[in-house]
Amino acid sequence: MNGILFGERELRTIAERAMRAAKGDQAEALVIGKTVSLTRFANSAIHQNVTSREAELRVRVVLGTRRATATTNRLDDDGIRRAAELASDLARRAPEDPTFPGLPAPRPIPSAPSGYVEKTAEATPLDRARAAKTLCDKASAVKLIAAGFVATNVQEIAVASTLGTWAYAPQTYAEAQIAAIGGDGSAFAQRVSTDVTGLDVEGAAAEAVGKAAIAQHPRDLAPDTYEVVLTPYAVRDMVSFLGMQLNGLAVEEGRSFVGGKIGQKVTGPITLVEDPFDSRSIPRPFDFEGQPSDRVALIENGVARAVVYDSVTAHRNKAINTGHALPFVGLPAPMHLRLEAGDKTREQLVAGVKKGVLVTRFWYTRWVHQLRTIVTGMTRDGTFAIVDGEIAHPVKNFRFTQSYHEALGGVRGASKDLSLLVAGEQFGLMTSCQRVPALHLAAFTFTGSTRY
Amino acid sequence: MRRDEENALVKNGRLDAVDRSDSFGFGVRAMADGAWGFAASQIVSAPEADRVGALAVEIAKASALTKKRDATLAPVEAVRATYETPVDLDPFAMSFDDRIKLLMAAEARMRERKGLRTTRAAYAVWREDKLFMSSEGAEIAQRLTEVGGGIAAEAVGNGELQIRTYPDGLRYQNAGGWEILTRWDLMVNAERVADEAVALLSAKPCPQDTITSVILSGNQLSLQCHESCGHPIELDRALGSEAAFAGTSFLTPDKLGTFRYGSAQVNIRIDATSKGGLGTFGFDDEGVPASEGWAVKDGIFVGYLMSRETAAALGTRSNGTMRADGWARVPIIRMTNVSVMPGNAGTLDDLIADTDDGILMDTNRSWSIDDKRFNFQFGTEIGWEIKKGKRRDMVRNPTYTGLTPEFWGSCDAICSESEWVMWGTPNCGKGQPGQGAHTGHGAAPARFRDVRVGVIK
Repeated sequence: MNGILFGERELRTIAERAMRAAKGDQAEALVIGKTVSLTRFANSAIHQNVTSREAELRVRVVLGTRRATATTNRLDDDGIRRAAELASDLARRAPEDPTFPGLPAPRPIPSAPSGYVEKTAEATPLDRARAAKTLCDKASAVKLIAAGFVATNVQEIAVASTLGTWAYAPQTYAEAQIAAIGGDGSAFAQRVSTDVTGLDVEGAAAEAVGKAAIAQHPRDLAPDTYEVVLTPYAVRDMVSFLGMQLNGLAVEEGRSFVGGKIGQKVTGPITLVEDPFDSRSIPRPFDFEGQPSDRVALIENGVARAVVYDSVTAHRNKAINTGHALPFVGLPAPMHLRLEAGDKTREQLVAGVKKGVLVTRFWYTRWVHQLRTIVTGMTRDGTFAIVDGEIAHPVKNFRFTQSYHEALGGVRGASKDLSLLVAGEQFGLMTSCQRVPALHLAAFTFTGSTRY
Repeated sequence: MRRDEENALVKNGRLDAVDRSDSFGFGVRAMADGAWGFAASQIVSAPEADRVGALAVEIAKASALTKKRDATLAPVEAVRATYETPVDLDPFAMSFDDRIKLLMAAEARMRERKGLRTTRAAYAVWREDKLFMSSEGAEIAQRLTEVGGGIAAEAVGNGELQIRTYPDGLRYQNAGGWEILTRWDLMVNAERVADEAVALLSAKPCPQDTITSVILSGNQLSLQCHESCGHPIELDRALGSEAAFAGTSFLTPDKLGTFRYGSAQVNIRIDATSKGGLGTFGFDDEGVPASEGWAVKDGIFVGYLMSRETAAALGTRSNGTMRADGWARVPIIRMTNVSVMPGNAGTLDDLIADTDDGILMDTNRSWSIDDKRFNFQFGTEIGWEIKKGKRRDMVRNPTYTGLTPEFWGSCDAICSESEWVMWGTPNCGKGQPGQGAHTGHGAAPARFRDVRVGVIK
């Protein structure tokens, strides 16, 4: 192992010390190590360039049906003991919870493709700066301004419990984002790869710069319901929002669009799978309780098939734990969503639109009505009118207010290539990724527009 | 920097989660060859400080690869100083039992109402101890303490999921001690929010795609201010530093001092000294003292939130708004307390009585705004029709939308100081890697004319 990884042995030592110091019937230790390195540029120059190496321990102590957690990054003996004692003390004072089933018993974790690439972990500040320079130079060459970042990230997740659970996986991912900005229009591109040597920086530059060139001087187009072609950046947003509803807690609390509809048609002919073993994603075969994560078909050909669970929500709802606990106990979520590919090229998707809109990216998307999956947000960084199967001209950005699952009711095509993407706001710990195609949808409702 | 937090959530009669956390470490921001580098570590020792300092310089030199010009900083006096949030009741000195019993009791009161699916009560106690030192000679020690929390009732039925909360989602938070939470009467309001959540299931929908007058509650106006004033006055955004992520700003420097942002009623203050604000401190993370000034005066845009580097670009001095989300993140410009100052419209009841026709909208439920901060759309938990000066029928799923300068330009009344409350946003996201900030926003209810409401069908 290199100097970036903490390593399985060190994380196991921390976990075992914590469990020994805990005073309860059961104890669990979650240890997360991460090195976040990100080189950020704007106005075609690097302005923020950071790296941090962090590790933290979360101890969960159970006393009967009472439990509490304590989290610390002080990983010397005193710090570990203090966290374990704090969690023990809080658990002792917590009220009983008859619905709590105790920690999950250990289960074998199947093998999965590695999500760790040594070269990504070893990337240097100069490597990232050179990639950033490539992105900036490509934009500057055609008198555009570049903004974005190049990042290389390493994270290790280890889970242990006094019941015998042990799970450990290192992961890496490299990411490049660029917005190419002209005087009156911009365009965006993103690339993600577990292997920094496979990070397509040149491709991102070419995509953003090429699209920005035709994004200048957008025209007004009246907000209305249009056919749309969504690039994978926009589709990722839709899939992420629907993923928030495809879990046992959302069904239990009455906020899921599939509540009471398992086995029924809820979208058009799409298939959405939670696949922790997808070798082309950032695989990890267990969750943050150290339970094996199942591959789960959530929506098959438009029919709702299942939702994911963690140990607590599975017990409460008399369901099978699919192994999808997030670090925040009691909140399950799919973490490796894949929207299955179609059979068209992206050009063919556009060619299939008589009159519509091409959307590069959604921005600032928020629930308006969760149960109906109505989301509002803006388009951004490359929105175009499509006329007679061709991109006609850029248009000013729209506000949309649209039910995401109803929009997927009108799927007219999906691209045959999938893009691996991650959300932009993960605060350092990457818990989920998505692989999605571009989509052609029959109807998408834009409810307003802005001035650019 | 050391951060201590405790978060607890009571849900449906059980303690769903309680977590106590601490995080300790240091960060070094270095300028070398005219460019910036930042490195951080949780191993607080002299050898590690040497390593991290050298790494920050190495990173800065790598940054210089794309440099267009040397980074320059506006001057600041290097001082030795301390600051501590005034606290009446130290939340970390109380017993856990005393903290949790408030939540358990309020949550139980909500569950007395039949027809609710989910009930929640939560608190957050937060403390940060930090030492800032610079090679210019500054040495500043600060202790910041915050407390927050609230209650929420959810009802499901008729194809609807409706929520009511008090005092402001589960995200109400202020700087100070436990007294912040106890001054809100959670027990009395538990019954009210439970009743309103159930009543919303059968309330009439918000009028669709209608232009009318809107009165916003103080907590909703505080978020409106955060999104449509606080962010666009961040000078790093206006100068392009956030262009690929958080976005830029329609308030470009050429508009400073002349652009009509809102009506003459609108006065918005930047004040890092306000009592109880989440943006209240002694010094920012560049060692610049807390300051106060105007963002919008009599409707005219007159002031930015600035760092030393961005202030230098405008030929002025920083007003002290650089803050980092913990030891592992680089300081960036964040809102301090950006507050809509009270007007003279009296109480909320007075304002309703003065309104012939409109909708009162209370407590945020949905928020979105474009990347230059023009086009926004908000939804609130609840609304009431106003007819001939009276609050009438409850409406569900209220939404309103507009363009920032037109919206603030239509503001014709703001309630008086008696209605003004220091609200807060403890989860403001910005930066890459992502950073969360705690920002303060004082506001009182206000009225806006000719607003488009009822966006969803």
